[in-house]
Amino acid sequence: MLGSSARDARRTEIYLNGLLAAEERGAPDAPLDLDVDPAVVFAARRLRADLIRPHPSFRFEEGLACRLGLAANPAASLRALHAPAGAPGHAALGSGVPRLGPLSSKSARPLIVGGVASAISIGAVYVAWRWSRGSGSATAHAESAGKTEPGHSSGRGRRVLGGIFGVMS
Amino acid sequence: MSRPVLRSSQESPRIARLDRDRGLVEAARRDPANFDALYRKYLPQVYSFAYYELHDHHAAEDATERVFMQALAALPKFEERADSFVAPSGGDRQASTFRVWLFRIARNVIANERRRERRRPVAPLDEAYNLPAGGDVVEAAALREAGSVAWQAVARLPEDRRRAVVLRFVDEMSTAEIAEILGRSEGAVRVLLHRALRSVAADLRGGMN
Repeated sequence: MLGSSARDARRTEIYLNGLLAAEERGAPDAPLDLDVDPAVVFAARRLRADLIRPHPSFRFEEGLACRLGLAANPAASLRALHAPAGAPGHAALGSGVPRLGPLSSKSARPLIVGGVASAISIGAVYVAWRWSRGSGSATAHAESAGKTEPGHSSGRGRRVLGGIFGVMS
Repeated sequence: MSRPVLRSSQESPRIARLDRDRGLVEAARRDPANFDALYRKYLPQVYSFAYYELHDHHAAEDATERVFMQALAALPKFEERADSFVAPSGGDRQASTFRVWLFRIARNVIANERRRERRRPVAPLDEAYNLPAGGDVVEAAALREAGSVAWQAVARLPEDRRRAVVLRFVDEMSTAEIAEILGRSEGAVRVLLHRALRSVAADLRGGMN
Protein backbone atom coordinates (compact mmCIF):
# COMPACT_ATOMS: atom_id res chain seq x y z
CA MET A 1 0.00 0.00 0.00
CA LEU A 2 1.49 3.29 -1.07
CA GLY A 3 1.52 6.23 1.30
CA SER A 4 0.19 9.54 0.07
CA SER A 5 3.69 10.87 -0.49
CA ALA A 6 4.68 7.87 -2.60
CA ARG A 7 1.37 8.03 -4.46
CA ASP A 8 1.86 11.72 -5.27
CA ALA A 9 5.43 11.02 -6.34
CA ARG A 10 4.23 8.28 -8.68
CA ARG A 11 1.61 10.59 -10.21
CA THR A 12 4.35 13.16 -10.71
CA GLU A 13 6.49 10.58 -12.44
CA ILE A 14 3.69 9.60 -14.79
CA TYR A 15 3.14 13.24 -15.63
CA LEU A 16 6.87 13.78 -16.25
CA ASN A 17 7.03 10.72 -18.51
CA GLY A 18 4.11 12.16 -20.46
CA LEU A 19 5.71 15.58 -20.61
CA LEU A 20 8.96 14.28 -22.02
CA ALA A 21 7.15 11.97 -24.45
CA ALA A 22 4.89 14.82 -25.59
CA GLU A 23 7.87 16.87 -26.58
CA GLU A 24 9.34 13.97 -28.53
CA ARG A 25 6.20 13.73 -30.64
CA GLY A 26 5.82 17.51 -30.92
CA ALA A 27 2.74 17.80 -28.72
CA PRO A 28 2.44 21.02 -26.70
CA ASP A 29 1.93 19.32 -23.34
CA ALA A 30 1.31 16.02 -21.65
CA PRO A 31 -2.22 14.76 -20.95
CA LEU A 32 -3.00 16.15 -17.55
CA ASP A 33 -4.14 13.99 -14.69
CA LEU A 34 -6.24 16.26 -12.51
CA ASP A 35 -4.81 14.60 -9.43
CA VAL A 36 -1.33 15.89 -10.18
CA ASP A 37 -0.31 18.74 -7.94
CA PRO A 38 -0.67 21.99 -9.97
CA ALA A 39 2.56 23.28 -8.42
CA VAL A 40 4.36 20.25 -9.82
CA VAL A 41 2.87 20.83 -13.26
CA PHE A 42 3.87 24.49 -13.16
CA ALA A 43 7.45 23.76 -12.13
CA ALA A 44 7.84 20.84 -14.53
CA ARG A 45 6.68 22.89 -17.52
CA ARG A 46 8.94 25.72 -16.54
CA LEU A 47 12.03 23.56 -16.05
CA ARG A 48 11.31 21.64 -19.22
CA ALA A 49 11.22 24.87 -21.18
CA ASP A 50 14.01 26.77 -19.45
CA LEU A 51 16.68 24.29 -18.44
CA ILE A 52 18.70 24.02 -21.59
CA ARG A 53 21.43 21.51 -22.29
CA PRO A 54 24.66 23.44 -22.72
CA HIS A 55 27.21 22.08 -25.17
CA PRO A 56 30.94 22.44 -24.82
CA SER A 57 32.85 24.43 -27.39
CA PHE A 58 33.70 22.80 -30.70
CA ARG A 59 37.37 23.34 -29.95
CA PHE A 60 37.08 21.47 -26.67
CA GLU A 61 35.09 18.66 -28.28
CA GLU A 62 37.62 18.11 -31.04
CA GLY A 63 40.59 18.58 -28.71
CA LEU A 64 39.31 15.95 -26.32
CA ALA A 65 38.49 13.65 -29.23
CA CYS A 66 42.13 13.92 -30.28
CA ARG A 67 43.42 13.24 -26.80
CA LEU A 68 41.13 10.23 -26.45
CA GLY A 69 42.30 9.04 -29.85
CA LEU A 70 45.91 9.35 -28.72
CA ALA A 71 45.16 7.55 -25.47
CA ALA A 72 43.31 4.82 -27.33
CA ASN A 73 46.06 4.25 -29.82
CA PRO A 74 49.36 5.59 -28.50
CA ALA A 75 51.53 3.17 -30.46
CA ALA A 76 50.28 4.39 -33.81
CA SER A 77 50.51 7.96 -32.62
CA LEU A 78 54.13 7.57 -31.54
CA ARG A 79 55.05 5.78 -34.77
CA ALA A 80 53.54 8.60 -36.76
CA LEU A 81 55.40 11.21 -34.76
CA HIS A 82 58.74 9.40 -35.11
CA ALA A 83 58.44 8.47 -38.77
CA PRO A 84 61.04 10.20 -40.99
CA ALA A 85 59.86 13.47 -42.46
CA GLY A 86 58.18 12.89 -45.77
CA ALA A 87 57.60 9.21 -45.07
CA PRO A 88 54.06 7.89 -45.25
CA GLY A 89 52.41 8.32 -41.91
CA HIS A 90 54.79 11.02 -40.75
CA ALA A 91 53.30 13.68 -38.57
CA ALA A 92 55.13 16.75 -37.44
CA LEU A 93 54.64 17.34 -33.74
CA GLY A 94 51.58 19.44 -33.30
CA SER A 95 51.08 19.85 -37.04
CA GLY A 96 47.50 18.73 -37.06
CA VAL A 97 46.74 18.42 -33.41
CA PRO A 98 44.29 21.08 -32.30
CA ARG A 99 45.88 22.72 -29.33
CA LEU A 100 43.66 23.71 -26.49
CA GLY A 101 44.11 27.41 -26.22
CA PRO A 102 42.14 29.80 -24.08
CA LEU A 103 38.45 29.63 -24.96
CA SER A 104 37.85 33.19 -23.95
CA SER A 105 39.65 36.07 -22.39
CA LYS A 106 38.40 34.76 -19.06
CA SER A 107 40.12 31.45 -19.48
CA ALA A 108 43.76 32.29 -19.95
CA ARG A 109 45.20 29.14 -18.41
CA PRO A 110 48.86 28.32 -18.97
CA LEU A 111 49.05 25.92 -21.91
CA ILE A 112 51.91 23.98 -20.36
CA VAL A 113 49.70 22.93 -17.47
CA GLY A 114 47.11 21.52 -19.85
CA GLY A 115 49.82 19.81 -21.87
CA VAL A 116 51.42 18.14 -18.89
CA ALA A 117 48.04 17.12 -17.48
CA SER A 118 47.01 15.67 -20.82
CA ALA A 119 50.27 13.75 -21.15
CA ILE A 120 49.82 12.30 -17.68
CA SER A 121 46.21 11.41 -18.40
CA ILE A 122 47.08 9.74 -21.69
CA GLY A 123 49.93 7.83 -20.08
CA ALA A 124 47.72 6.70 -17.22
CA VAL A 125 44.99 5.58 -19.59
CA TYR A 126 47.47 3.63 -21.69
CA VAL A 127 48.99 1.89 -18.67
CA ALA A 128 45.53 1.06 -17.32
CA TRP A 129 44.46 -0.24 -20.69
CA ARG A 130 47.53 -2.47 -20.98
CA TRP A 131 47.06 -3.83 -17.49
CA SER A 132 43.43 -4.57 -18.10
CA ARG A 133 44.05 -6.28 -21.42
CA GLY A 134 47.12 -8.24 -20.40
CA SER A 135 50.51 -7.88 -22.05
CA GLY A 136 49.83 -10.27 -24.91
CA SER A 137 46.71 -8.59 -26.13
CA ALA A 138 48.22 -5.19 -25.57
CA THR A 139 51.15 -6.10 -27.78
CA ALA A 140 48.83 -7.45 -30.41
CA HIS A 141 46.76 -4.33 -30.14
CA ALA A 142 49.81 -2.12 -30.46
CA GLU A 143 50.95 -4.06 -33.50
CA SER A 144 47.61 -3.81 -35.16
CA ALA A 145 47.20 -0.19 -34.21
CA GLY A 146 49.40 1.11 -36.97
CA LYS A 147 47.65 -0.81 -39.68
CA THR A 148 44.79 0.75 -41.52
CA GLU A 149 42.79 -1.71 -43.48
CA PRO A 150 40.97 -0.29 -46.45
CA GLY A 151 37.37 -1.33 -46.22
CA HIS A 152 37.67 -2.13 -42.54
CA SER A 153 35.17 -0.27 -40.42
CA SER A 154 36.64 3.13 -39.86
CA GLY A 155 34.94 4.81 -36.92
CA ARG A 156 35.17 8.44 -36.05
CA GLY A 157 38.13 7.71 -33.80
CA ARG A 158 40.10 6.49 -36.79
CA ARG A 159 38.99 9.50 -38.76
CA VAL A 160 40.14 11.74 -35.92
CA LEU A 161 43.53 10.07 -35.90
CA GLY A 162 43.62 10.29 -39.65
CA GLY A 163 42.89 13.96 -39.34
CA ILE A 164 45.74 14.38 -36.90
CA PHE A 165 48.35 12.45 -38.72
CA GLY A 166 47.28 12.76 -42.30
CA VAL A 167 47.40 9.63 -44.42
CA MET A 168 48.53 6.68 -42.36
CA SER A 169 49.77 3.69 -44.22
CA MET B 1 18.23 4.95 -22.14
CA SER B 2 17.87 1.21 -22.03
CA ARG B 3 15.05 -0.66 -23.69
CA PRO B 4 12.92 -2.56 -21.21
CA VAL B 5 12.01 -6.10 -22.20
CA LEU B 6 9.52 -8.16 -20.23
CA ARG B 7 10.64 -11.61 -19.21
CA SER B 8 8.38 -14.23 -17.80
CA SER B 9 9.23 -15.54 -14.39
CA GLN B 10 7.49 -17.72 -11.88
CA GLU B 11 7.48 -15.09 -9.15
CA SER B 12 6.91 -11.81 -10.93
CA PRO B 13 7.37 -10.19 -14.29
CA ARG B 14 10.98 -9.16 -14.70
CA ILE B 15 12.28 -6.41 -16.87
CA ALA B 16 15.62 -6.92 -18.52
CA ARG B 17 17.20 -3.71 -19.70
CA LEU B 18 19.05 -4.19 -22.93
CA ASP B 19 21.78 -1.65 -23.29
CA ARG B 20 21.28 0.30 -26.48
CA ASP B 21 25.00 0.97 -26.50
CA ARG B 22 26.00 -2.67 -26.46
CA GLY B 23 27.20 -2.61 -30.07
CA LEU B 24 29.22 0.55 -29.57
CA VAL B 25 30.69 -0.76 -26.32
CA GLU B 26 31.73 -4.02 -27.93
CA ALA B 27 33.28 -2.15 -30.85
CA ALA B 28 35.22 0.06 -28.43
CA ARG B 29 36.43 -2.99 -26.54
CA ARG B 30 37.67 -4.57 -29.74
CA ASP B 31 39.42 -1.38 -30.77
CA PRO B 32 39.68 1.57 -28.37
CA ALA B 33 39.72 3.94 -31.34
CA ASN B 34 36.02 3.15 -31.67
CA PHE B 35 35.42 4.72 -28.27
CA ASP B 36 34.98 7.95 -30.19
CA ALA B 37 31.40 7.02 -31.09
CA LEU B 38 30.46 6.69 -27.42
CA TYR B 39 32.32 9.88 -26.64
CA ARG B 40 30.43 11.86 -29.30
CA LYS B 41 27.12 10.41 -28.21
CA TYR B 42 27.46 11.26 -24.54
CA LEU B 43 29.66 14.34 -24.54
CA PRO B 44 26.76 16.85 -24.36
CA GLN B 45 25.05 14.95 -21.54
CA VAL B 46 28.17 14.50 -19.44
CA TYR B 47 29.22 18.08 -20.02
CA SER B 48 25.74 19.36 -19.09
CA PHE B 49 25.73 17.34 -15.90
CA ALA B 50 29.16 18.69 -14.99
CA TYR B 51 28.21 22.23 -15.93
CA TYR B 52 25.05 22.28 -13.85
CA GLU B 53 26.97 20.86 -10.91
CA LEU B 54 30.08 23.00 -11.14
CA HIS B 55 28.62 26.25 -12.55
CA ASP B 56 31.69 26.94 -14.62
CA HIS B 57 32.51 26.07 -18.23
CA HIS B 58 36.17 25.42 -17.62
CA ALA B 59 35.62 23.30 -14.54
CA ALA B 60 32.95 21.40 -16.47
CA GLU B 61 35.32 20.81 -19.37
CA ASP B 62 38.06 19.60 -17.06
CA ALA B 63 35.64 17.24 -15.32
CA THR B 64 34.27 16.03 -18.66
CA GLU B 65 37.78 15.23 -19.85
CA ARG B 66 38.52 13.25 -16.71
CA VAL B 67 35.25 11.35 -17.04
CA PHE B 68 35.94 10.19 -20.59
CA MET B 69 39.61 9.42 -19.91
CA GLN B 70 38.62 7.28 -16.92
CA ALA B 71 35.85 5.64 -18.90
CA LEU B 72 38.23 4.76 -21.73
CA ALA B 73 40.73 3.27 -19.29
CA ALA B 74 38.10 1.32 -17.38
CA LEU B 75 36.00 0.18 -20.34
CA PRO B 76 37.36 -3.40 -20.28
CA LYS B 77 36.05 -3.69 -16.72
CA PHE B 78 32.55 -2.47 -17.56
CA GLU B 79 29.99 -5.20 -17.18
CA GLU B 80 26.51 -4.83 -18.50
CA ARG B 81 24.11 -6.34 -16.02
CA ALA B 82 20.80 -6.68 -17.69
CA ASP B 83 18.45 -8.95 -15.84
CA SER B 84 18.08 -7.80 -12.30
CA PHE B 85 15.41 -5.15 -12.58
CA VAL B 86 12.26 -6.26 -10.83
CA ALA B 87 9.09 -4.53 -11.90
CA PRO B 88 7.56 -2.43 -10.58
CA SER B 89 9.28 -1.76 -7.28
CA GLY B 90 12.80 -1.30 -8.57
CA GLY B 91 14.16 -2.48 -5.26
CA ASP B 92 16.89 -4.52 -6.87
CA ARG B 93 19.55 -2.15 -8.11
CA GLN B 94 22.00 -4.35 -9.93
CA ALA B 95 21.33 -3.48 -13.56
CA SER B 96 23.82 -1.32 -15.33
CA THR B 97 24.03 0.13 -18.78
CA PHE B 98 26.93 2.01 -20.31
CA ARG B 99 25.17 5.34 -19.78
CA VAL B 100 24.52 4.63 -16.11
CA TRP B 101 28.10 3.45 -15.67
CA LEU B 102 29.46 6.56 -17.38
CA PHE B 103 27.35 8.85 -15.22
CA ARG B 104 28.51 7.08 -12.09
CA ILE B 105 32.05 7.95 -13.12
CA ALA B 106 30.85 11.50 -13.76
CA ARG B 107 29.20 11.69 -10.35
CA ASN B 108 32.45 10.65 -8.65
CA VAL B 109 34.63 12.99 -10.71
CA ILE B 110 32.28 15.90 -10.06
CA ALA B 111 32.07 15.10 -6.35
CA ASN B 112 35.86 15.23 -6.16
CA GLU B 113 35.89 18.48 -8.06
CA ARG B 114 33.28 19.98 -5.75
CA ARG B 115 35.32 18.97 -2.73
CA ARG B 116 38.31 20.72 -4.27
CA GLU B 117 36.12 23.70 -5.18
CA ARG B 118 35.00 24.22 -1.59
CA ARG B 119 38.51 25.38 -0.83
CA ARG B 120 38.20 28.05 -3.52
CA PRO B 121 35.87 31.05 -3.74
CA VAL B 122 32.60 30.11 -5.46
CA ALA B 123 31.27 32.17 -8.37
CA PRO B 124 27.96 33.93 -7.75
CA LEU B 125 24.96 32.06 -9.12
CA ASP B 126 24.08 35.01 -11.35
CA GLU B 127 27.20 34.30 -13.35
CA ALA B 128 26.67 30.58 -13.34
CA TYR B 129 24.10 30.63 -16.12
CA ASN B 130 26.06 32.86 -18.44
CA LEU B 131 25.75 30.52 -21.41
CA PRO B 132 27.13 31.44 -24.80
CA ALA B 133 24.52 33.14 -26.93
CA GLY B 134 23.98 32.55 -30.62
CA GLY B 135 21.49 33.73 -33.20
CA ASP B 136 18.90 36.29 -32.16
CA VAL B 137 20.43 38.40 -29.43
CA VAL B 138 17.11 39.44 -27.87
CA GLU B 139 15.78 35.91 -27.91
CA ALA B 140 19.04 34.61 -26.52
CA ALA B 141 18.98 37.21 -23.75
CA ALA B 142 15.39 36.29 -22.86
CA LEU B 143 16.31 32.63 -22.91
CA ARG B 144 19.27 33.28 -20.66
CA GLU B 145 17.18 35.26 -18.24
CA ALA B 146 14.45 32.63 -18.05
CA GLY B 147 17.05 29.91 -17.78
CA SER B 148 18.89 31.82 -15.13
CA VAL B 149 15.76 32.20 -12.99
CA ALA B 150 14.90 28.52 -13.37
CA TRP B 151 18.46 27.48 -12.70
CA GLN B 152 18.71 29.59 -9.60
CA ALA B 153 15.62 27.89 -8.25
CA VAL B 154 17.19 24.50 -8.99
CA ALA B 155 20.54 25.54 -7.59
CA ARG B 156 18.95 26.31 -4.24
CA LEU B 157 17.74 22.73 -3.90
CA PRO B 158 19.57 20.24 -1.69
CA GLU B 159 22.24 18.31 -3.57
CA ASP B 160 20.36 15.07 -4.24
CA ARG B 161 17.21 16.86 -5.42
CA ARG B 162 19.24 19.13 -7.67
CA ARG B 163 21.07 16.22 -9.26
CA ALA B 164 17.85 14.34 -9.79
CA VAL B 165 16.27 17.36 -11.49
CA VAL B 166 19.25 17.90 -13.78
CA LEU B 167 19.42 14.23 -14.74
CA ARG B 168 15.66 14.18 -15.40
CA PHE B 169 15.14 17.45 -17.22
CA VAL B 170 18.48 18.15 -18.85
CA ASP B 171 19.80 14.66 -19.50
CA GLU B 172 16.33 13.15 -19.91
CA MET B 173 17.02 10.07 -17.85
CA SER B 174 14.45 7.69 -16.50
CA THR B 175 13.80 7.30 -12.81
CA ALA B 176 15.48 3.90 -12.92
CA GLU B 177 18.64 5.35 -14.43
CA ILE B 178 18.75 8.21 -11.95
CA ALA B 179 18.31 5.73 -9.12
CA GLU B 180 21.30 3.77 -10.39
CA ILE B 181 23.46 6.84 -10.70
CA LEU B 182 22.58 8.32 -7.34
CA GLY B 183 22.61 4.97 -5.56
CA ARG B 184 19.02 5.35 -4.35
CA SER B 185 15.87 3.32 -4.85
CA GLU B 186 13.48 4.30 -7.62
CA GLY B 187 10.88 5.16 -5.03
CA ALA B 188 13.30 7.51 -3.30
CA VAL B 189 14.11 9.21 -6.59
CA ARG B 190 10.41 9.70 -7.35
CA VAL B 191 9.96 11.39 -4.00
CA LEU B 192 13.11 13.48 -4.54
CA LEU B 193 11.77 14.73 -7.86
CA HIS B 194 8.29 15.38 -6.53
CA ARG B 195 9.59 17.41 -3.61
CA ALA B 196 12.11 19.19 -5.80
CA LEU B 197 9.36 20.33 -8.17
CA ARG B 198 7.23 21.58 -5.32
CA SER B 199 10.19 23.55 -3.95
CA VAL B 200 10.99 24.99 -7.37
CA ALA B 201 7.36 26.00 -7.87
CA ALA B 202 7.29 27.78 -4.52
CA ASP B 203 10.57 29.49 -5.34
CA LEU B 204 9.48 30.59 -8.81
CA ARG B 205 6.09 31.81 -7.62
CA GLY B 206 7.74 33.65 -4.74
CA GLY B 207 10.01 35.35 -7.25
CA MET B 208 7.05 36.44 -9.33
CA ASN B 209 5.34 38.18 -6.41
